Amino acid sequence: MGCSAVRDVIFVTFYFCWVQWERLLSRVEVLSLELNKPDLWDDPVRAGKISREHGSLMGRMKEVKAFERELLEHIDMLKLAQEENDQELETDSLMALLRMRRIVKEKELEALLSGEHDPCSCFIEVQAGAGGTESNDWASIVMLMYKSWAQRRGYGVTVVDEMPGEVAGIKRATIKVDGEYAFGYAKAEVGVHRLVRISPFDSGKRRHTSFAAVAVIPILGEGFSHVQINESDLKIERTRAGGAGGQHVNTTESAVRITHIPTGITAQCQNERSQHQNKSSAMAVLQSRLDQLEMTRLAQMNAQHTQSLTDISWGTQIRSYVLHPYRMVKDLRTNYEVSDPDSVLEGDLDDFILSYLSASLDKDEEN
Amino acid sequence: MLKLSITRASLSVFQTRRLRHIHCSTISCAPTQVKLQTPLFLRPPDHKVTLADLKKWHLWAKNISSLVGSRFLDIDNGPDSTLLHRELDWFIEDAIEQPKSLTEDNYNMSLEVSIRASLDDLYRLWNQRIEERRPFQYIVGCEHWRDLVLCVQEGVLIPRLETELIVDLVENATKRNAELKEGVWADLGTGSGALAIGVGMILGPSGRVIAVDLSPTAVAVASYNVQRYLLQDTITVKQGSWFEPLKDCQLTGIVSNPPYIPSSHISGLQAEVAQHEPRVALDGGADGLDDLLHICNGAASLLKPGGFFAFETNGEEQSQFLANYLTNEAKCFYGVEMTSDFAGIRRFVTGYKKE
Ligand SMILES: C[S@@+](CC[C@H](N)C(=O)[O-])C[C@H]1O[C@@H](n2cnc3c(N)ncnc32)[C@H](O)[C@@H]1O
Repeated sequence: MGCSAVRDVIFVTFYFCWVQWERLLSRVEVLSLELNKPDLWDDPVRAGKISREHGSLMGRMKEVKAFERELLEHIDMLKLAQEENDQELETDSLMALLRMRRIVKEKELEALLSGEHDPCSCFIEVQAGAGGTESNDWASIVMLMYKSWAQRRGYGVTVVDEMPGEVAGIKRATIKVDGEYAFGYAKAEVGVHRLVRISPFDSGKRRHTSFAAVAVIPILGEGFSHVQINESDLKIERTRAGGAGGQHVNTTESAVRITHIPTGITAQCQNERSQHQNKSSAMAVLQSRLDQLEMTRLAQMNAQHTQSLTDISWGTQIRSYVLHPYRMVKDLRTNYEVSDPDSVLEGDLDDFILSYLSASLDKDEEN
Repeated sequence: MLKLSITRASLSVFQTRRLRHIHCSTISCAPTQVKLQTPLFLRPPDHKVTLADLKKWHLWAKNISSLVGSRFLDIDNGPDSTLLHRELDWFIEDAIEQPKSLTEDNYNMSLEVSIRASLDDLYRLWNQRIEERRPFQYIVGCEHWRDLVLCVQEGVLIPRLETELIVDLVENATKRNAELKEGVWADLGTGSGALAIGVGMILGPSGRVIAVDLSPTAVAVASYNVQRYLLQDTITVKQGSWFEPLKDCQLTGIVSNPPYIPSSHISGLQAEVAQHEPRVALDGGADGLDDLLHICNGAASLLKPGGFFAFETNGEEQSQFLANYLTNEAKCFYGVEMTSDFAGIRRFVTGYKKE
């Protein structure tokens, strides 16, 4: 390895450390100020949260300091090795530095996914925009993109609910994505996705623009507080109730729809083999929706968010997929773009997701 | 009452993947005269076919399912293509060791795939589904009911999704009054054993359920299902007519989904039911109430004071009639209520025996 490569390693390593360090310092400062306020414990829930975060950041600071010490040691070693012309020592220290760079990269990713709910599994929902068959087809392409993305990442994917379009595609679908940090990544996809192409459904071969909206709902695990659902607030009905039922009918169709009457929020499932299980899957979706609604309400109370729920759950236009007259996928939030729509539609989304996540981290910083 | 002789059935290979929380060794109880059929998903994946041949079969099966369109739906409220396609997916789930091999992009068409029936059988079975309207559940030999997978075969009623709710009704009743978990329950006309097993699980280890059926096939299949869920200590399956095998038991609870369809309606039912399911499981006499009334009267004498019952009925009219009968004529019940199924049809009648 040449000298410039060595400089690279050192520079990159330092740079990331520095970025993290600055972040940490300023946050710890803010938290310390809060902790010193005399009225802190008037709101014990908030106080608990602040002191927990403070504690965990202090831990991280210790980690960074240790990391810095180790880094400096290796650099000293490297210098020494070069001065003394000790080949073996030089390689060893270089390897150590390279390993440290890898760790830093992992830490960086951890920082991107440090939201409270990021480690959760999630539901991804795709809903076709107006425009019938065109949009329905686009919605099914988007859904397929997420299925492949999730599978590539090694997540479990199950279809919970799917409403087919009349001619092609889907009007709406929900999948469950199981695995660590599924929500952390997928949340970057919330919003409206726009497609421009020559429609395969248009015999006149005209250009069409279609939209599909994506929502992502975290599935809060055990450790989180859940909205309490009263059995009596629920209306449960079969989505396709044919005829007399009971002993008269032998059917494998057992989809149910659950409506939470106070909020009007609904969930349905038809992909399980028993009604009982369709009902529990639908209940799980409903629970997550209600939890999300509650989180939004709390967020609005805390930070006077002006965003309405619909903004949060369906969002504004975030990405554009153009297949004609040129080929490009562009993220409107980060301006990140690629010229190969096929690979993106086949689930190669990580670069879009990571660039969005780091952009939003920087934005948090500014605020 | 017939004493079941115990034979070691030839069902030695079990696939624990589908059994979820049950672990199972060998099933060893079946009346000699009834031949138990092993459901598809429990058969060993001993047959090998090439991916090419399997794909060819799949395409054929999809096609004949598509050709049905809404024909069956229009004739007798039978399944349409959408439903048949979903059933086909489940058929594949049960029949192929690695169902994904069929749908994944795989260009190695000579790849060998392990299946649980011969390729000829796959053709034959799916043809029966479409041409003979043989019920899907008889084809795969099981029905997913609540969180159970119950084995079924010709001669046994395929448990209905509405009936799942009876277990919830029992659960709610035991939550209100924990004493209901003690003592003996009866499931009259147990069929596949669905209700007995569902209730047995609610009652827990201290529970006792006697499951009764007139049909030897039902008794054999129910016993098999009870063993698959390791509930032999909780549930006893007995052959006989309604209360007859119970002699003078004092019952804590009774659940029953007896035949309730008026005789004249049977021939007009969808082909899957009318042509394939046992008439003795469906036909409730001229107005469909013969067995329900018999069971109500029996409940009056065998149910303990405070005991609970839940019956399934043909819907609005029968529920109204029975609720009225139990409250005003039988005079020994209280808290008689009707509950709707998820289609909004008043399907169930529940209540308690007076002190
Ligand atoms: C509608 S099926 C219900 C089966 C099962 N409980 C279920 O819900 O899936 C009615 C059952 O009652 C049984 N049955 C009919 N007449 C009977 C009788 N006289 N005594 C006991 N069982 C009888 C039938 O064999 C059948 O299994």
